[in-house]
Amino acid sequence: MKLRICHLYPEFLNLYGDRGNILVLKRRAQWRGIEVHITQLSLGDKLDPKAYDLIFLGGGPDQEQGVASDDLRAKGPWLKEAVEEGVTLLAICGGYQLLGQYYRTNSGETLPGIGVFDAYTEAGNERLKGNIAIRVEELGDETPVIGFENHGGRTFLGNASPLGSVIYGDGNNGHDQTEGVKYKNAFGTYLHGPLLSKNPHLADYLIGLALQRVYGEVELQPLDNSLELEVNRSVYQRFLSTKGKW
Amino acid sequence: MFRTFLAIWIGRLVSFLSRWLKRGGTSLPGYIALKIDPNLMKHLTSNYKKVIIVTGTNGKTTTANLLANILKASGLKVIHNTEGANMPAGVTTTLLESPGEVAVLEVDEGTLIHVTKQVKADMVVITNLLRDQLDRYHELEQLVQVINRSLSFIPEATLVLNADDSLVTSLGLNKNNVKYFGLARNELSQEKTTEVLEGHICPICHKPLEFNFYHYSHLGNYFCPSCSYSRPKADYEVNEVKLSFQQVCFNLNYPEGEIYLKTQMPGVYNIYNVLAASSTALQLNVKPVTIMKVVDKFLPGQGRAETFHLQNKKITLMLVKNPTGLSIGLKTIITNSKEAVYLFAINDLAADGRDVSWLWDADITLLVDAPYNLIICSGLRAGDMAIRLKYEGIKMDSVVVVPEQEASVNRLLSESVSEAVIFCTYTNLALYRRILRKRGAESEVAYMSSLS
Repeated sequence: MKLRICHLYPEFLNLYGDRGNILVLKRRAQWRGIEVHITQLSLGDKLDPKAYDLIFLGGGPDQEQGVASDDLRAKGPWLKEAVEEGVTLLAICGGYQLLGQYYRTNSGETLPGIGVFDAYTEAGNERLKGNIAIRVEELGDETPVIGFENHGGRTFLGNASPLGSVIYGDGNNGHDQTEGVKYKNAFGTYLHGPLLSKNPHLADYLIGLALQRVYGEVELQPLDNSLELEVNRSVYQRFLSTKGKW
Repeated sequence: MFRTFLAIWIGRLVSFLSRWLKRGGTSLPGYIALKIDPNLMKHLTSNYKKVIIVTGTNGKTTTANLLANILKASGLKVIHNTEGANMPAGVTTTLLESPGEVAVLEVDEGTLIHVTKQVKADMVVITNLLRDQLDRYHELEQLVQVINRSLSFIPEATLVLNADDSLVTSLGLNKNNVKYFGLARNELSQEKTTEVLEGHICPICHKPLEFNFYHYSHLGNYFCPSCSYSRPKADYEVNEVKLSFQQVCFNLNYPEGEIYLKTQMPGVYNIYNVLAASSTALQLNVKPVTIMKVVDKFLPGQGRAETFHLQNKKITLMLVKNPTGLSIGLKTIITNSKEAVYLFAINDLAADGRDVSWLWDADITLLVDAPYNLIICSGLRAGDMAIRLKYEGIKMDSVVVVPEQEASVNRLLSESVSEAVIFCTYTNLALYRRILRKRGAESEVAYMSSLS
């Protein structure tokens, strides 16, 4: 089996260790004997919607995000085609915002997104920042998905479903207890950490979805997750009483 | 006026009391004095001949300490904040102690504006702008704007800027008095980089920059293919770098001549620190021979690679507070060490940065084949570090997680190898120093005792 990963704008969307997610996906596939191909695509590159099983976008600083956003307008139709075809996609923070309908800045300017997700984002004043834990239905109740969020934008969902519900932390906008978004096999979220480092259940869920489209139902060989799950549990417990803050 | 006098004397009283209670290194006197007179820094610096501010992400403590020592050696009475107390309260505490002719002030880049609003600095040295505690100063470009605003209060000041850092040089645009320092292509220059980069964006046209070569992180020789902006010519430039096990030698070319410098501090980042301090000293007309002598003897201060001896072990304590610091710290240590125990002490308190995801932006590939026999992870985020190691491909049977710091030192001492390196985040630095001293460890270099 082969897992073909596309990492979009690695040199621009590279905040908060998000590239660590690629490393986690790669290792967890390799440890099971799955071959991994990683393609980095950036400005001006063509994105073949049929060439990848999993597409990844991280978060970036404002200016870099602006550069990526201009280029994404050209790649938008390919990306949408891939998502409609059932390709797995993970977009974090700035990457998540860029895939929504639009982003409205503090000065009222509206920057169009490419509309993979039925969601929009408005700039806020205070940054929503801290440890966060969410419950993701598909992953059951036993282990939450945890991470660290740090965003100025408030995201609101249209008809789309959230990735999870907030246990503690702010999530999409600090109000409606939703976190992230999902559409088909595409997921957006504000969680850094990097996201997949302390959430091996989510990492395997994404690998499974990505392989399924090509190979049908796959049973992933179990790995020793004791370290990751122990850290997930202790970090989750540590910030439970303070709701993610300090 | 009465308010200022009151602030000064109460500040000095608090300072005396806190010394008497042996609580050294506190910023409390300055904090209280600023509460009484918010404009106190202005009054305290008005009689100085020169006030020099050193700011930037990495290297400001080493640069400021070295510069202060050079200026002292040239016969000036120098006041400077030696213990990295670089927020307004810390700066004020230093200024309260005793007056001098020249003040060398290390100032935190995020709170620079509180200082420049009051202190009419003559020079501002900016070392670099790297990714650091982004949950505090969330994005570098915003930090650049904050620094620009801070500098607008002191339009007369000479800026001494790192030419190799496009984020720093963007601060020199449309300014009158700017001097640049930088490194020419040398044996350490790399065509490519595996580190996560900032500073890809042209400060003028906001299109992506391209690089001829890198020195570390995003520091290197860059140009903009769209608008012709490029790395400015350095007034103070290093060439002919020679690295050996114990020292780094290089030439520093400047408008009036050339000097040959030799430092015992390892790593390319220390070349920049020496260069920044020496350029500033040359700019102030210090004799080249004085600079050479001080640079030759200078050793870094607390924990920025400080060596201890305990139970037949040589233990190096190194501060790592951001991805670049960890990447080059590892590079420096691993290329120079024999078989050793490595200890990573990672906390997530306010001064460390609450978000530890930066561990994944560091380049730790060198660790995979490094000559360690055990890696210990400690601190509040010991587990996060262990996961980071696991996914890099480190063999987990030689990694142990010992979150509690005292216990981690016991584990370290129980190993039979003679070398150990402790990489600490900010709040762990003082803690490990205390633990080692309590157990009778001797520091190899008394803090600059030979010079100050």
